[in-house]
Amino acid sequence: MTIWPEEAIVRRHGETEFEFDTVDMTVNVGPQHPATHGVFRMLLTVDGEVVVDCEPYIGYLHRGLEKLTENADYRQAMGWWDRTDYLAGLNCEGAWCMAVEKLAGIEVPERAEYIRVIMMELSRINSHFMFFGAFGADVGSFGTSFTYAWRERERIYDLFEEVAGDRMFPTYFRIGGVTMDLPENFEARCRWLLGSIRQGLEDLDGLLTGNEVFVERCRGLSPVTPEQAINWGLTGPLLRATGIPWDIRKVEPYSIYDRLKFEIPVGTQGDVFDRWMVRLAEAYQSTKIIEQCLDEMPKKGLVLNPNLPKTLRIDSGEVYFRTEGTKGEYSVYLMARGGNKPYRAKLRSPSFCNLSALREMVIGNYVADAIIILGSLDIVLGEVDK
Amino acid sequence: MTSVPKQFTPTRQVPRQGLAEKIRRAVPNHIPLEFGETKTDVDVRLKPEHLLEVVRVLKEHRDLAFDFLRNMAGVDMQEQGLHLKIHLYSFKHNHTVQLTVECPPEEDHPHVPSLTSLYRAADWHEREAAEMFGFIFDGHPNLKNLLLEEDLHIHPLLKAHPLQEPEILQGIEDGPPGFPF
Repeated sequence: MTIWPEEAIVRRHGETEFEFDTVDMTVNVGPQHPATHGVFRMLLTVDGEVVVDCEPYIGYLHRGLEKLTENADYRQAMGWWDRTDYLAGLNCEGAWCMAVEKLAGIEVPERAEYIRVIMMELSRINSHFMFFGAFGADVGSFGTSFTYAWRERERIYDLFEEVAGDRMFPTYFRIGGVTMDLPENFEARCRWLLGSIRQGLEDLDGLLTGNEVFVERCRGLSPVTPEQAINWGLTGPLLRATGIPWDIRKVEPYSIYDRLKFEIPVGTQGDVFDRWMVRLAEAYQSTKIIEQCLDEMPKKGLVLNPNLPKTLRIDSGEVYFRTEGTKGEYSVYLMARGGNKPYRAKLRSPSFCNLSALREMVIGNYVADAIIILGSLDIVLGEVDK
Repeated sequence: MTSVPKQFTPTRQVPRQGLAEKIRRAVPNHIPLEFGETKTDVDVRLKPEHLLEVVRVLKEHRDLAFDFLRNMAGVDMQEQGLHLKIHLYSFKHNHTVQLTVECPPEEDHPHVPSLTSLYRAADWHEREAAEMFGFIFDGHPNLKNLLLEEDLHIHPLLKAHPLQEPEILQGIEDGPPGFPF
């Protein structure tokens, strides 16, 4: 008995083989879609399962940050700036404060600088843990990586709440220092937290980095060369994954980063797996930075410059202050022309620039991989849309 | 293709002295440039018609090698017209320059050559500047609105564009809303 009758076999392999005309199909992803990490929409044109074109649409979260800043006092504006990169609000506050301080020539007490660096690095770890959790979910480990990442994030947020009174948007920094000194048990709690973070990194590393499914899906996906990365304007972990050890904390050190010893982790291929590894290593380096700060910081002292004017007025000047945000180069262009308000403030947001290269990265890949590539960019829409 | 050093050793001091002199020597003499300083960078003022030529020299000159477009920001200088600030960086030499493109004040929608042929990163920066200030970037492949809605043709970051007054639904009726700064 034959399973396939002879005619059928002929039809399958012989003269009657069909050739199908394929039609490109448009798939709309977002703006409300769990894989887009916020209100981001991309219009994929797919041929079967392969992406042939991608058009990103942003602006769903546009709040007019720059216009609002132009109409606010230098100190008031900070409340909007930490809502840009809302996963690491303190880094944004830091960038804003340091830009204004540079423009106005305000000095910051040494202890406040150390406190700032500690808080900014904790924010960086916090943001990277968000990436680890969300990226694991993108790749397919569903809730597991999220749960592991959230354990550490909650602990960091608890510490923020204890120090500054708020979890996500503490508005803890001030132009000229920080609002208040650290609580008494801070050092012990922070050291305990660092151990916890390292354990969390180890857990996530063991959970995903060695996982064959994870590795097979990520390795070699959308490799970026250093030349492409520079031309596309990529910064941060995406640029370092291509092998360029460019970190503004080292290249143009601000605050007290020139006193601290840390390494810049780099990748080799610039692919999605390297981006994952670079962020893991970077979070570990941040724990080392915090440890050094705890060791070296002056135990007593002012945390806010006592000679601040009642109303901060800046006559004229321009500054393009660059900091290493969690996603890349987070810079503030600030122009003053007298008065107590900035004449122009521009945010150079790393997610915005990284996202503009999305189209080139996803074309030619599968739809499922496009989601992973988008996840590996680690965008935060508050920063993209301003 | 730009050359990326394999071993990148960051220098502690960002060299600013001499950069203006290097740029003056590299750029052809018939292009008028004005040099200034900001708190962080060397500032080069130029006219929009020379922008593309100057940026090409800055990108391709061996001693300058500005291979990375950091940022682009429009500024409405009111009576002085619209200005476009462009920040370029060189990975090879670790220096940054700020270009100030001074558009003529009588034009509401000044034409500026697009840098997308030199830097792919310029794409979204230019779209943002175009919608926020009304620049027209000649040679840009797709100058649609980016952050604003597609059919909204306003330029919110112009100084003439007002900020909406806060609406008080209940509470203090007398006196202007908000804090007196």
